[in-house]
Amino acid sequence: MAKITKEERKNGIISAALALFSQQGFYVTTIPDIAQKVGMSVGNFYNYFSSKEILAKELILYISDYLGKNLREINMKEITTEEKIQEIVSMYFKMASDKPEMIEYFLRVYLSNREVFGSDCAGMICVSSFVTEMMIFFEEGVAKGDLHNQDFFSAFGLFMGYLGGMVFLFGEALLPEPLKEYEESISLNIYNALKHRD
Amino acid sequence: MITKEIIDHIEGEASLYFEMQEKRVDFVTVVFPHFRGMENMLKGKSALDALVITPRVCGICGHAHLMATVRAIEDAYKNSGHPIEVSNKAQNMRELTLTLEIIQNHLKWLYLVLIPQLNNFENITLSLTPLKGAYGASLATKALAILAGQWPHSSYMIPGGVTSDPTYIELMQLRAHLEKLSDFLEKETLGTTVQNFLSFESCKNFNKIASDVSSVEQALFDLRMHKKGFSHDDFIVLGEHRFTQIAKSRATRLYNVDITKVHVEDAFSPQEKSYAKNALYKNAFYETGPLARLISKDVKLIKNMHRRYKDSNYTRAMARIYEMVYLLQHSLDLVKEIDITQDSCTKSVTLSKVTAQGIGVVEAPRGPLIHKIKLKEGIIERYEIITPTQWNISSGTKLKPSPAQKAMIGLNKQEAEFVFRTFDVCSVCTTH
Amino acid sequence: MHLNTETKPKLLWLQGVTCNGNSHSFLNLESLEQLLDKFELLYHPLLASTFSLSEITSLQNSCDILIFEGTYDPEFTRNNIPLKEILPYYALHAEHIIALGTCASFGGMFQSLAPERNSGLLYKVEEEGGPLIAYKKRVINLSGCPVHPEWLATTLQMLLAKHTIVVDDLQRPRELYSSLAHHGCTRNEYFEWKVDTKGFGLKEGCLFYEQGCRAPLTHASCNTILWNEVSSKTRVGTPCFGCTEPSFPRTNYFQTKTNMSIPQDVPLGVSKRAYLTVAGMAKTFHIKRLEGVLIDYKRDH
Ligand code: SF4
Ligand code: SF4
Repeated sequence: MAKITKEERKNGIISAALALFSQQGFYVTTIPDIAQKVGMSVGNFYNYFSSKEILAKELILYISDYLGKNLREINMKEITTEEKIQEIVSMYFKMASDKPEMIEYFLRVYLSNREVFGSDCAGMICVSSFVTEMMIFFEEGVAKGDLHNQDFFSAFGLFMGYLGGMVFLFGEALLPEPLKEYEESISLNIYNALKHRD
Repeated sequence: MITKEIIDHIEGEASLYFEMQEKRVDFVTVVFPHFRGMENMLKGKSALDALVITPRVCGICGHAHLMATVRAIEDAYKNSGHPIEVSNKAQNMRELTLTLEIIQNHLKWLYLVLIPQLNNFENITLSLTPLKGAYGASLATKALAILAGQWPHSSYMIPGGVTSDPTYIELMQLRAHLEKLSDFLEKETLGTTVQNFLSFESCKNFNKIASDVSSVEQALFDLRMHKKGFSHDDFIVLGEHRFTQIAKSRATRLYNVDITKVHVEDAFSPQEKSYAKNALYKNAFYETGPLARLISKDVKLIKNMHRRYKDSNYTRAMARIYEMVYLLQHSLDLVKEIDITQDSCTKSVTLSKVTAQGIGVVEAPRGPLIHKIKLKEGIIERYEIITPTQWNISSGTKLKPSPAQKAMIGLNKQEAEFVFRTFDVCSVCTTH
Repeated sequence: MHLNTETKPKLLWLQGVTCNGNSHSFLNLESLEQLLDKFELLYHPLLASTFSLSEITSLQNSCDILIFEGTYDPEFTRNNIPLKEILPYYALHAEHIIALGTCASFGGMFQSLAPERNSGLLYKVEEEGGPLIAYKKRVINLSGCPVHPEWLATTLQMLLAKHTIVVDDLQRPRELYSSLAHHGCTRNEYFEWKVDTKGFGLKEGCLFYEQGCRAPLTHASCNTILWNEVSSKTRVGTPCFGCTEPSFPRTNYFQTKTNMSIPQDVPLGVSKRAYLTVAGMAKTFHIKRLEGVLIDYKRDH
């Protein structure tokens, strides 16, 4: 059997912690819970993360980088702004369906327990890879003449708030259809709301 | 017979078409052959862009253009129902830097134009030191740049005030440069202190000093310039500043003026197309510039000169020299008045709310400079510039000559060209 | 040029369509006298010179160094002789040709007056489309509106000393145009920490995010070789207008072009991604020292 590398171990902790934090919340989850879930000793756990707070920060960076990487791929494609919106929505919904714990963590832990993240995560630092890509998406959309030039946060809020809301409804099992069914109409709504006005 | 002379070593180039009779000028028309069309360039641009473009009308008086633009925009704000407050500090700074630009202009004119031209006359031997003019001027512009960032082509005046926010240190440095300029002038140009010079009340006072200025004064006399170059003896000042007073004058009697009575018409130039338009007030020509400004301020020496020699070329030239010193004193006073606790720039409503016309008038080195702006939602629909040289060096008809034309009549050609240059010609501005 | 003790190199200063701004800027040079001493001035529009304009336009002399100020318009005349006759005549034998100012370098301020005809000596805005393109190797572009007197003086001194003048891809001496106008600005620390100025007329804050400062995209040494030896635009709170670049004149000088609050143009050579990442991070930290006023003159009053 191939030896499990340190990196793989670390990733194991990350997925276990993600699952636990997003199901039970940050405070209820303990280090022994996490160690048990990955099947390692508590002492060994500390070789990877020196505290629960540091792990929490790693997780948000991990999610942000994951989203950022996917967004970057979309940003680099030679497709229209409208098509990019469809791809972003589709990517986000896929992540919400396949890895619901990531979105859950973002909403239930990162946004609800800001004190945990402290000054190291002030402002948008810990989600910078994701936010930077959104900035690039918006800036290019305006530069190409596809999107209306407005305040960044008005546009960002509209885009992400809408997606977050749908994922919440989905998570609460309030949506009659699977998320994927909504991709097209939601993309169109977002595009219509943001597109260049004459 | 009509003969053509090209005049260079002014700001730009001009052509004079002389009609001579027995070697005397019977009539002369003035042509400014170059055209640039800067007013058109401004159409469709944001009003603030004019703050960058209009200084580039002219390399020697761009700062006056900047101030005319900022005044025109602020007037448009007012006319659209959004008046802008400008602090005393910003107003003093604007007036100071404008004043310094006039000083550098006059210094260059004295050493790069007047003295070399005087020297061209037989029997006149003045020492040629053009770089003295450049050096003195560079001290004035150095002081100017402390507030305005650079000269030429600063754009530090903006609606609501100025962009700079000087510290005490900077004001002290500015003062030091002005004092250096003052020392330089006393030693190299005046031959006496600034204060003593400004206290002169009669032309006789010049006899007591030995300096560049007294030599120039003597040369003007020797050439009988006090008996030559008479013009209409009508003057006008239109820009609002503390160093002068808005008025028109018949000789030295002052009358009120109304800026709306200013108009322009095509130049009379049958020989060649001129791109300059004539500027008039109520259909009449007026002389502008230092002499007009000092008369409006009731300055003793100039009034005395005028009483004896009227608006001769002597009076005209000496007024330009006197004003340089007069303004140096004014700028030293202004530095003291800058109160750095005040705001440099006040906030105003966004430009897109401004749909109105505005007019900005300032006294540039050569006289009133008028900018008219028409804005629609902050965008320039029309821009019009009337420059001082359009007043002094219009080209009128024989029956109705401009100040410079009138002053040249009856002189020989060399004298006429000399008189022409004592108006301190700016062809660059005129054909904006 | 054949510099020996008896003959000084012959300098000719010719003008196209211009405001005279470079001529006046040059007169500010501190070492003007010492510099002029090293040349024979055949003609200058303001300074005393060997020949008159009509002698110059009679096209019978030649010069070693030709300085051309202003936009080139072939039909524009000096003393009734069109530039298309004067310029090639002197350019043919001149050892060095200096295109002085953005007008002479790229067309500049007066390019748009007759866009089909007008250009700089080598470039029409950014394209090679000027009348002296065949002499490119002999032409040095000194862009700027106006040119700093020291930039011209340095170039002339280098020519005198026969130094090789290393130029950039727009034919400008790297000595003077290799760094950006942003270098040396007193507001650099505000730029680093992304502290915007709160409005015009303040000592504090950077002018890049809202006030339109182009200095991080502009090749010029305005903040290291100060204007009139004392200051610069950005030091007095005026944004840099990018006057040394082919894109000058631009529009909307007092406002940064943003798309969804994000600057459309970021500092030269920096990717937008890199810039936004660093900017976002720097903006997060609130540095008290950089947020307050530097000197509170009002407090003691
Ligand atoms: S104001 Fe302009 S030059 Fe100064 S630091 Fe900011 S971007 Fe740079
Ligand atoms: S600061 Fe910018 S606009 Fe001003 S002179 Fe330098 S390069 Fe030109």
